[in-house]
Amino acid sequence: MGVRRTAGRVKNPPRFLHVAVWLRRHPEFGAFVGLLIVFAGFSLTATRFLTRDSLASILTVAAELGIVSAGITFLMISGEFDLSVGSVLGVAAMIFALTAKAGWPLFLGWILALLVSAGIGFLNGFITVRTRIPSFITTLGTMMFWRGILLAVTGGFPVSYFPTATPTMFLILNGRFAGQFRASALWFLGIILILNVILVHTRYGNAVYATGGNRDAARVLGVATDRVKIINFVISALLAGLAGCIQFARFLSVDPMRGLGLELEAIAAAVIGGTLLTGGAGNLIGTLFGVLLVGMVRSGLVQAGAPAYWYQAFVGVIVVVAVVVNTNLRRWALK
Amino acid sequence: MNNHEPLVQMVNISKSFGTVQALKNVDFDVGRQEVMGLVGDNGAGKSTLIKILTGVFPPDTGEIYFEGKKVEIRSPKEARDLGIETVYQDLALIPLMSISRNFFLGREPVIRVGPFRFMDKRKMDVTVRQVLSEIGINVRSPEEPVAILSGGERQSVAIGRALHFGAKLLILDEPTSALSVRETHKVLDFILEAKDRGLSIIFITHNIYHVYSVADRFTILEHGRKVATLNKAEVSAEDIIEIIRLGYKEGKCRQ
Repeated sequence: MGVRRTAGRVKNPPRFLHVAVWLRRHPEFGAFVGLLIVFAGFSLTATRFLTRDSLASILTVAAELGIVSAGITFLMISGEFDLSVGSVLGVAAMIFALTAKAGWPLFLGWILALLVSAGIGFLNGFITVRTRIPSFITTLGTMMFWRGILLAVTGGFPVSYFPTATPTMFLILNGRFAGQFRASALWFLGIILILNVILVHTRYGNAVYATGGNRDAARVLGVATDRVKIINFVISALLAGLAGCIQFARFLSVDPMRGLGLELEAIAAAVIGGTLLTGGAGNLIGTLFGVLLVGMVRSGLVQAGAPAYWYQAFVGVIVVVAVVVNTNLRRWALK
Repeated sequence: MNNHEPLVQMVNISKSFGTVQALKNVDFDVGRQEVMGLVGDNGAGKSTLIKILTGVFPPDTGEIYFEGKKVEIRSPKEARDLGIETVYQDLALIPLMSISRNFFLGREPVIRVGPFRFMDKRKMDVTVRQVLSEIGINVRSPEEPVAILSGGERQSVAIGRALHFGAKLLILDEPTSALSVRETHKVLDFILEAKDRGLSIIFITHNIYHVYSVADRFTILEHGRKVATLNKAEVSAEDIIEIIRLGYKEGKCRQ
């Protein structure tokens, strides 16, 4: 009964169809396989890779990057981009540090850092939506602007805060548990979970996919696309700010170059996980795999005895390979 | 249905964009359970007229009456709330999203869990499965992306959506362009079925033969002015093409 899409070719080759159906719904599959391969590779080459401490160190690296990447994923699905997250992370960490040093209650400093981050996100969104310029440009500008402000205010010097005993606030943000594991991992997993539920199971999530999938179509179908975008810019910046505070709770110091280059790593993790650069497709589970993959590469290379410099080169290769694989899987699944 | 007043009446509509006058004093109406063909060359003002009716932008002057009442339609959502559903050529559905999500976009049913509201996916899928089988589209699952559907299937899903949500007026923007012959016929059949169910339809197109086979009346626009509104009995498809090609006076060769 159904009309066939292309004349002369039947739509269901029965053996593969259910695989294709499954793949269409799971763009994160490629990243998962990549994760397994890298995991297997390091398990064989790095002797201490398969230990609890090693897993904890992977998670520590992955969590801080992942919180940023989760926000970026959400924003990218709605069709926009945020290059300013690295600078926002630095600004938030700096506000947290300076207020702590000035004797503010840590909780208040934390709230202020988050509010400022959210404000920066709103500004990114407002400028992008109002002026209709690409968010790549908006956030390239704000990335440089906030980094410049950070350097100007601190004169380029790092700020540290060493309390005599570790305050509760720092424990909540990034305390240790079960050996070398850190609270940041819980924040990360919780955020991934919540954002993914919003994306997959709420009306707002539907609006996010629609906005990124085809903004004009979404608008004529009654989706408030500008509002969706602004909200997602706020989420992206807010999570970058949270990551900054969490990182500060680990290092207890922050320098004005903190977070430099992080935006590209966060975007890399999102696209490795199957999120489309052009918007409209992707999910947070993919980003979870992407971030773990990046974290594993960073820890694994060091443990395998490679100089740390190789990390970037390695991630670069993974990004390209991952996107080639994801793109081809998608094409094949939609055939 | 035995009401004589038209479902929609647009009176004396004008609209300019900067120095370009897109519409000038256009009167336009659609009766109940009527298929109105809205035709004219590129730039005649067809889509401007429809965008005014669907709340995409307001007219500079003129009034709109819907079911006899004067209305101001300020957004696509307000048009939808009145029962005016539009199926745009390229903007009907979002290819990367599932059929289910597309079908309910902006009108998703929800389940409340404490302070949270979640989409009722089961209800969405059950409804869409039913609608698809009524239309005669055969897919594995309503969660399949729209991208796997053919052009005709997409048009059908969009029209089915309008029917499902109780549209009174269905606006179709080039519903048959880029479709195969066979698919075109399916969509045209579906338009007649929608009419049988009590809907009024505005059919915008360049393809006079497609619209001629289903329309009751035709409104012809040219350079932002209404040239004529004609009953099907008065003209042939060739006449309409002549009018569009040459203008009303020369083109209406029958008189």
